[in-house]
Amino acid sequence: MIPRLFHIFRNTPLGRETLLNSVYFCQQTGAVPVVYIPEHTKFLMYFENEVVQVDLDASYLTSPETAKNHATEILLINGFEPTFLGPKHFTASTLPDIPTDFDFMCCPRSITDLSSKIGMGYIGPRVRNIVNAARFPVLLSSTGYKPWKSIVVFFGGSSNAVNALKLGFRLKRNSGLPLDMFTQAEKKPQVYRELVKSQQLEEDVNKRVRDWKVLESGSLEENLYEVPHDALVVMGAFGHGLIKNLVFGSKAEKIQSVLPNNLLIVGPRYSAVH
Amino acid sequence: MRSPIQWRFPGNWAIFRMDDRLLLMLIGTIVGICSGLAALALNTGLIFMLKWVHHWSSHWWAFVFPALGACMSSLFLEKIVKEGAGHGVPEVIYSVSRYGGLLRLRSGFSRIISSCLTIGSGGSAGPEAPVVMSGAAIGSNIARYFALNDRQRIILVGCGAAGAISSIFNAPIAGMVFAAEVILGEWSAVNIIPIAIASVAGTEISRTLQGNQVIFSHQVFSIDIGDILASVGLAALAAAASILLTHWLRAMQKISPRIIHIFWLRAAAGGAAVGMIGLWMPVVLGEGYDRVVQMIGGNFPGGLMFVAIACIAKILATSLTLGWGGSGGIFAPCLVIGSAVGLTYHRALTLILPSVTWVNEGCFALLGMAGLISGMLQAPLTGIFLIVEITGGYNVILPLIIVSAITTTICYYIEPASYYLKDLVDRGHLLRPGTDARVLSDIKVHELIEKDCISVSQSMPLRDFIKIVEKSTRNFFPVEDEKTGHFAGMVHLDDIRPYLFNPMMYDAVLVGQIMNPDVETVSPEDDLTEVLQKMDAQKLFSMPVVLNNRFVGMISKATLLDKYRKELMVQTSV
Repeated sequence: MIPRLFHIFRNTPLGRETLLNSVYFCQQTGAVPVVYIPEHTKFLMYFENEVVQVDLDASYLTSPETAKNHATEILLINGFEPTFLGPKHFTASTLPDIPTDFDFMCCPRSITDLSSKIGMGYIGPRVRNIVNAARFPVLLSSTGYKPWKSIVVFFGGSSNAVNALKLGFRLKRNSGLPLDMFTQAEKKPQVYRELVKSQQLEEDVNKRVRDWKVLESGSLEENLYEVPHDALVVMGAFGHGLIKNLVFGSKAEKIQSVLPNNLLIVGPRYSAVH
Repeated sequence: MRSPIQWRFPGNWAIFRMDDRLLLMLIGTIVGICSGLAALALNTGLIFMLKWVHHWSSHWWAFVFPALGACMSSLFLEKIVKEGAGHGVPEVIYSVSRYGGLLRLRSGFSRIISSCLTIGSGGSAGPEAPVVMSGAAIGSNIARYFALNDRQRIILVGCGAAGAISSIFNAPIAGMVFAAEVILGEWSAVNIIPIAIASVAGTEISRTLQGNQVIFSHQVFSIDIGDILASVGLAALAAAASILLTHWLRAMQKISPRIIHIFWLRAAAGGAAVGMIGLWMPVVLGEGYDRVVQMIGGNFPGGLMFVAIACIAKILATSLTLGWGGSGGIFAPCLVIGSAVGLTYHRALTLILPSVTWVNEGCFALLGMAGLISGMLQAPLTGIFLIVEITGGYNVILPLIIVSAITTTICYYIEPASYYLKDLVDRGHLLRPGTDARVLSDIKVHELIEKDCISVSQSMPLRDFIKIVEKSTRNFFPVEDEKTGHFAGMVHLDDIRPYLFNPMMYDAVLVGQIMNPDVETVSPEDDLTEVLQKMDAQKLFSMPVVLNNRFVGMISKATLLDKYRKELMVQTSV
């Protein structure tokens, strides 16, 4: 089955950049973009065990008469047959239901707040809810169009990080791009290698990972400079603990607030295809 | 790596793994208590607001209260909690039908606040549907917290609705019946037991905190055969009132956005209109329970014309409140309108046949309530049990059954879907358990795709194609464009039959020449119902699935039947 990426189109310059990032992701990974041009400022996503109401900021409804043409143009130029999603079901007359059986979804860092407020270090509550509830990984695109030439997986040892690593292998297989691993070591490096071994991923790591940087000194913020600027960063969100549903996890929060790269976030309900 | 906090997942505890009925009974009790408390919160809020508004209700400018209330209610729903207007019961039924009872957490309180603003300020609506929405959302979110599956979640949604109705009416059987008949649309032992327990919990909460009292207590009625026969006519009148209320509500919902575009102004205009009617006829204001008590007690003032006009005015006021953007339900208005219909009928009978001795008019008011509830909800059992419980009137059970049954039947013939279900039926969104539509909705096209098809290119000679046919077990072969990989058409075995016995043609004919390029295709996004309609219309047994111009696989009726059977077994198994 051809993987599908769900994209909510915002008919603004920022929205164009986001769609370009989605299209580039699809080109690299063999996915097909499915574009939704909203007609209402809110919609519902019914996940397996949660319903998320997404309240879009008003800019998503900018110039609806040109939105489809703009999106079509970008898709055709990049070799994709335009596929638009029209909601078939409505919970209320102005509240469409959006399917959730996609393989990826692309979001800016916030879809509820005005684009002028979106900046590094801020991920909106709806996007957090989607990451938490979705079976698919969420591509948090950078604010400008930013092609990437390699894949970097942040591996901190959590179950979500293991899923992120498996997703990294899948992306490498589909794109043929080099795959690197980064670990900000809080324990001895051997612990991480043992963890990889226990997950029966050692052979894959040896075969497919170009470089595994285990950073034992310096803070995470300092070490993030080592991440190539033209890499797609894959990481798991929501760590351990009682408040795991509320915050992304301390490392993920720092990474998303420092790195301007495109981020592919793997949530706790992601089911990895390896 | 697994979380050590197992208390959050009681579904995994050994005792509950033996039989999930125990788990549902335990959590159903919690849901019943919470929804009962929600109902009490709304009741308390309404009493407070009505008392506060009552101080000024005699002034000529009091008509602004319903306007303000409806305006604030719509602003609260649209801008603060960002939910649409309406009472929410169709949303609960829709969620149960299609999404395993998933409801937003905010729905647990949003309708309570909005309906409190609408009804407390004098709007003509009822608090019951909002508490059903609230109770159902509480049940759904408790199920989510405990990570229960769809079937368990749906039962807890039913528990929430049952607990709320039981608590607000002090009527456990009505709550239970309402949840099964209206919300879930199915009766099974597995469902009923936790719902019954939730009803008991909700009722007990109400009795503990508010006291055990029958809401509309009345004298004992002595009913004879003449009254029972006369109740047939009352059923017809109740059905007419139900249809009128349904049509006016729908008409207002359609007309109001065309007249005033701004939603809060629209709600305010509707509220102001209700307020002005209320200046002249106060019976239309608020939930109207005190008027129902008067009517059942046979103390309602005025004559035949007055009560008939009051009935029409209440229908109009309810349509203006709910059709113009106010928040609330139709239960309480149905009780008021129904009792007014009963009174009108009794007074007309007395006028036409003055020599006949009829039972007290309060009895007909009571029967009229059952008729309106049954007609609007097309749920006769809910109507019967609700009226029996809230009036303590078991002695009227025979005419009650007759009125409920006949009203439901007449309304069904005129308007096949109830008020709650009409929109869902019109949109094709009502999927009751075990029905064909429900089974099909749970199967996705991508689950049925057969991928064992061998694709061929347009330039392939027939000789090579025949070799592929030898290896394959299928009758259809997708053809792809060599350069782009796009789907170009299909070749069926029948298409090569004319050339099979002429080896001279093997190298002369290419696949592109014999393929059918005009093939009907489906997309993985399509609804299975639409796919089946296409297959039936074209008399096809299989169709190619194409995404982004690329062939993905085939979908066939044989695979669908197999999957359908499995899905039906899952849905109907207990």
